[in-house]
Amino acid sequence: MRQPILFLTLALVVLAGAGARAQDGVARAEAGDFAWPNLTDMLTRLIAEVGPPIKVYKLVIDADSKVELWIQDQRQRDFIDRWHYDHGTLRGPTPVKFKEYPSRAALDHHVIELLEIDFPRLPAMLASARKRLDLPTAQVTGIELERGDSSGVISLTDSPIWTFHLATPRHDGRVEFSLKGTVLHVDKD
Amino acid sequence: MSTRIDPRARWCGIAPCVLQVGLALAQVPNAPAHPLDEPAALKAAFASRIGRSAELVEFRLGEHHASLLVQQGADFDRYEALPGQPMPPGEPVKAAAVDCRGRLAFAALDAATGARLLRQARAIAAANGYDPPGTITLGAGMMCEAMGWRVVLTGAGNLEAQLHLFWPPDGSRGKAREFSAEAWHTRDIARLLEGAAPAAPAAPAAAPVELAGDGRTRDFLRDIAGDLARLQAQLGAELAFKRIGFDAQQLSVDLLQDARAKRVSTWLVDREGKLRLWREADAIAFDCNRPFTRADFPFTQLPTLIAAAPGLIEAMPGAVVKDVAIRRSGLCGKPHVYVQVEDARGYGNVEYDQRGRLVSARVQ
Repeated sequence: MRQPILFLTLALVVLAGAGARAQDGVARAEAGDFAWPNLTDMLTRLIAEVGPPIKVYKLVIDADSKVELWIQDQRQRDFIDRWHYDHGTLRGPTPVKFKEYPSRAALDHHVIELLEIDFPRLPAMLASARKRLDLPTAQVTGIELERGDSSGVISLTDSPIWTFHLATPRHDGRVEFSLKGTVLHVDKD
Repeated sequence: MSTRIDPRARWCGIAPCVLQVGLALAQVPNAPAHPLDEPAALKAAFASRIGRSAELVEFRLGEHHASLLVQQGADFDRYEALPGQPMPPGEPVKAAAVDCRGRLAFAALDAATGARLLRQARAIAAANGYDPPGTITLGAGMMCEAMGWRVVLTGAGNLEAQLHLFWPPDGSRGKAREFSAEAWHTRDIARLLEGAAPAAPAAPAAAPVELAGDGRTRDFLRDIAGDLARLQAQLGAELAFKRIGFDAQQLSVDLLQDARAKRVSTWLVDREGKLRLWREADAIAFDCNRPFTRADFPFTQLPTLIAAAPGLIEAMPGAVVKDVAIRRSGLCGKPHVYVQVEDARGYGNVEYDQRGRLVSARVQ
């Protein structure tokens, strides 16, 4: 029993910054910036539903601040479940159906420990993405986090990658970051 | 302290504002009422709306609508003109949406030439049995070719008949090519104006080959024998299979039509038993086109093999059959039976050989 409580406490400490920034995000949204979803609330609810540890296969934040989160079922690690968070409402789990099912070893390798994810970095990454693309007014069209291999096939970018998709009326751009916020790739149309 | 606003002050604030809005409206150019008859006025209206020097990427001209895509520095904007209407400001266009590098100085745009060539294209269409074109386009074309005026004519009643007309930006030395009999042919513009290359008429549509259902609802995963027998009776010959595919709802049969196996016909049977010829096409040259018959695969065992398939993949205890295919294995080998199963998490494949022996059963 001690371990789950410790995990929950740790997670909430880590997420406290993200929560504060999410509150700030509301103010920025009114100023035309991206309205960050309340990730603290989402993860608190998720931990209450499935218990720790949370291992993230993929996370997607869309332009409307809705979140889709794929996590590994820790009771049966062959399985990946999909959860949706829409402004305070958490729905799930929905089984993820792979066209070609990855092996358990591939899934174990692919997933990212929740505690490795530094959510409070996200607003700074967004600012950095805009700067690197030279698109200061660009809007978020999507933000994704997933390990850079694909369905268990080891690739040259075998590490978790945050991908920021941004757009203006004239340009589309994509910036990839490591978990620590290092820019890995910049692509502008 | 009073917070009441002096009415004179209010008017002093509003009046300049009203004046400014009025001036701004007065500066918005109107598109000419008849763009094809007033091409110079149309160009002047676009120039006034753009306001700065720009390079032309694409210009589209018709009597009901004209548009202009221009580049200014790194930015692209599209301007639109509707006859007699105020010209709206340009709309930004994403740089990635502009494929071709071809540009023309806006000053070099000769809209009068465009109007003349559109009339010529319409005359060619009328003389050769093509639909009249609505617009003419000055641009680099779909394949990023040379900048020029382009019109694509399609045959009246036959979309497959096409005549492509092209002129350089100054409108001289027009070229034409016609697509007919599955090939391109160069045509002479002057002769086209005389009606020298009439559009090919559409091929008469073949009457649909269909057999009504018998009112019985099928589950093809349990039985396809009856419907294969119906198909054989319809064709009056032993069925030469290329592939048989089915799920619970539909049966699809690819047949090689003759001894040379040059054509493939695909027959479909729906759940109510309606049987129809869906398509006929040439066989793919390097595909396996060696036919097989019912005697070449475990036809009578099919229901048993299919029913057993989901239980053969241990990792998918709740799997059900998704679909079945019977085709020659590997590089034109013996006909094998391939059963795809699925559960909520994914798919699995079970393969049986020509005698119904299990070859493999694994998660996909």
